Amino acid sequence: MATETDDFAPATAVTPTDGLLVVAGLARRFGGVQALDGCSFAVEEGTITALIGPNGAGKTTLVNVVAGAIRPDSGRVYFAGQDITARPSHQIALRGLIRTFQLSREYPQLTVLENLMVSPQRQVGERLSVALLRPGRYRAQERAYLERAVQILDDFGLYGQRDEYAKNLSGGQKRLLELARAVMAGPRLLILDEPMAGINPALVDRLSAHMLRLRAEMSITFLMVEHNLDVVERLCDHVVVMAVGRTLATGTMAELRQNASVVTAYLTGGVADVRAES
Amino acid sequence: MGVVIGYIATLGVYFCIYNIFAFGLNIQFGYTGILDFTVITFMAVGGYLAGVAALGPEQPGTDIYYVLGLSLPWPVALLIGAAAAGAVGYLIGLIALRRLRSDYLAIVTLAAGSIVYGIVGNDTRLFDGFEGLVGVPQPLSGVLNLNPNDYTVVFLALCAVIMAVCWFLANRLYKSPLGRTMRAIREDLEVAEAYGKRTFRVRMSAMVIGSIYVGIGGVLTIWFVTSLAPAGWGTGETFVVWAALIVGGRGNNLGAVVGSFLVAVLFNEATRFLPAISSLPNLIPEIRNICIGGLVILTLWFRPQGVVAERKARFFVVPLQHGTVAGSAAAEVAVSGD
Amino acid sequence: MSLFLLTLGFGVVTASVLALASVGLSLQFGVTNYVNFAYGAYLAFGMFFTYTANTALHLPFWLAAAVGVVATGLVAVLINIAILEPFVRRGTSGFFLLIVTFGLSLVLLNAIQAIWGVGFDQFPIAAGSPIRLGPFSFTAAQLAIVVIAVMTLVAMHLLLTRTALGRAMRAMSDNPSLARASGIDTHRVTLWTWFISGSLAGLGGITLALNTVEFQAFTGNTFLFVIFGAVILGGIGQIYGAMVGALIIGLAVNLSGLVISSAYDLDVAFVFLVLALLLRPQGLIAARGKA
Repeated sequence: MATETDDFAPATAVTPTDGLLVVAGLARRFGGVQALDGCSFAVEEGTITALIGPNGAGKTTLVNVVAGAIRPDSGRVYFAGQDITARPSHQIALRGLIRTFQLSREYPQLTVLENLMVSPQRQVGERLSVALLRPGRYRAQERAYLERAVQILDDFGLYGQRDEYAKNLSGGQKRLLELARAVMAGPRLLILDEPMAGINPALVDRLSAHMLRLRAEMSITFLMVEHNLDVVERLCDHVVVMAVGRTLATGTMAELRQNASVVTAYLTGGVADVRAES
Repeated sequence: MGVVIGYIATLGVYFCIYNIFAFGLNIQFGYTGILDFTVITFMAVGGYLAGVAALGPEQPGTDIYYVLGLSLPWPVALLIGAAAAGAVGYLIGLIALRRLRSDYLAIVTLAAGSIVYGIVGNDTRLFDGFEGLVGVPQPLSGVLNLNPNDYTVVFLALCAVIMAVCWFLANRLYKSPLGRTMRAIREDLEVAEAYGKRTFRVRMSAMVIGSIYVGIGGVLTIWFVTSLAPAGWGTGETFVVWAALIVGGRGNNLGAVVGSFLVAVLFNEATRFLPAISSLPNLIPEIRNICIGGLVILTLWFRPQGVVAERKARFFVVPLQHGTVAGSAAAEVAVSGD
Repeated sequence: MSLFLLTLGFGVVTASVLALASVGLSLQFGVTNYVNFAYGAYLAFGMFFTYTANTALHLPFWLAAAVGVVATGLVAVLINIAILEPFVRRGTSGFFLLIVTFGLSLVLLNAIQAIWGVGFDQFPIAAGSPIRLGPFSFTAAQLAIVVIAVMTLVAMHLLLTRTALGRAMRAMSDNPSLARASGIDTHRVTLWTWFISGSLAGLGGITLALNTVEFQAFTGNTFLFVIFGAVILGGIGQIYGAMVGALIIGLAVNLSGLVISSAYDLDVAFVFLVLALLLRPQGLIAARGKA
């Protein structure tokens, strides 16, 4: 059954152990705009959860707050039961939460293979003394990473482009690289910000297949911001609907289609209507 | 004959010194994307500190004032100069590397350099103000007892060794995972941060190593000319290093070498030997600065990657676990259109 | 106490000079979204065009100053058309534009020095006897600086709030892609921005020269760091922030002279710049609604 959040419900209706990622009562204001206004939901381990909502609902702000790029004014973020609110992004990433960006953000002047080789965290060869004085100490690890990177590139059909500068890839290939690079980091939770926006249907299918495969093979949990409801319906187990900075409803897509306030939010995007419905 | 050899050796010394400067800026800017607009300040810090470490105590009545005066042997002075430049780089980095915006970073470095310039120039007790340090002892000159031209050749050998070590280490850094992370940060700091990279720390490493490199170049400079005054390290000198790196090719140490040769040696140092017009003593340096500034702008327009472009990193081929590579790669090209 | 008030008065004069120059830099920074490191040379253009118009062409000083202001504005527009705009059109990243303007500052400052010489010049106008206003004491030139600054800043305020051009500038400063999408002729607005920025730099240079009395090619460039301090303290692209930043730093620089040597003026400005970066990098008056 779809649950509608009540305007008067306390923001901490979720507890830190409700899922792999738990967002509790997040609020953030930019100047005169209340981008997030007490947003709460949980992402259960092993799911592909969609985050949908009209433009300006605060989805990207939410991703930025969860990933540590923006501090919230109030509210908490829990990952694997640990409070990660307002931690620096690199610390959050080290815990296994990796996010992608709305537009392709490959490292343009690095080769495709290098784009992947950057991803592993706490590499031995990233220590200054090792890099300068003891390069022998990172060779074995480097070789292991290289084998893994090549395997991932092959899985994503990018092996042939491994020595190409990332900037020279096509738009679709860049999208695949973005996902491949994230997988190389070995995440527990992958947050994808509109991965399907502006790509052709064939590639949408391929990305979807990759996500299902990654969940099965590497038990990666996904939270994806998405506008394409068909994709959401086919791919996602669970859907979180946001409007005007708060959670409007959660449930499966089928359940949400029956929910009047969700339909209204998508049709109008207006504050007053949403409030009137709930 | 000795004069000619001395002249060539002099150019060789400058070539080595500018190579080290350009390697330092390359680590900061070419690898990591740090806009250090005050490169030459680190040269001055390295030079001054090595100078006062090697000079004897201040003599009363000579009107030359400076701090320390420790009479230390030259290898120790070299270490002190390099460490001091690194420390100043660290302090500037503490302020400049905090903010993500590259323009803030550029402003802070430029302003910090100008503050150091003002303090060194105005406070005569530190390094004798605008008069500058003079009579800094040259390494081994007391032991070898050579004529100036022969000494220059020996000094060139010393510079070449130090330059080679710097080049070797800079290349090793470039190829290492740390160097790769530096380049990722150069390309997109925010993404690198989202992938768990401690970007502040990595950028600080690049800032400090680059400063140490430039500081070592500064030590060699003060040894070679035996004096150093603020007039020798204005913003124009910073730009010579920038020009060398941009013209030669940033992100590539071979480019830094080519650029140092073209800009710092052929162009910059050679024009120093042109006869000055006595009524307009500043005209030559003015024209030199105008040309160097123009050269950078023209290079960025006509060949932004520099004479020697950054090369792709190649990995030795790793065999795949299974044999689907050719098929899937071919399939990919067909699907890749948007 | 009277020394304090007297110094406070000089601080207001410095702040006036600084406000003129800072508003010009901040406006262009906001609209084009990159710093112009050659701005110090634009101040020098203002000084030397005025100097030449006054001494060689024998124009009265006020007319020479007007020529200097307009000519500097035109130089800024020409440099933009000839050098900066082509790089922007090609999509050169802000990163390299900074290097271009840095190189430009080297070219322009040395060209100015080659043309007008290394020595110090001074405007041939009589200093006159000091005018006393209560506890304050100013020269006629200093009073004129304050009056001109106030009038110019009021004019800037009216330009930005009451004219279509001003509203377009603010729109481009807030959100360039939205401004383009909403039909603003960004090319024309950019040219006007450079003209106004250059003119304000010229005026800032002239008033700076009047205030310091003696000037040479690099006088404006040294002052550039004080300008950066005011602009960053005020928030990049924030015109009113730049005015507030100028007032704070102008007063601080002069009042600090009571305690430490005035040779350290630059360092005082730098301390403010650093504090601004560490404590309030978005500026005193934060930009609205930027996510």
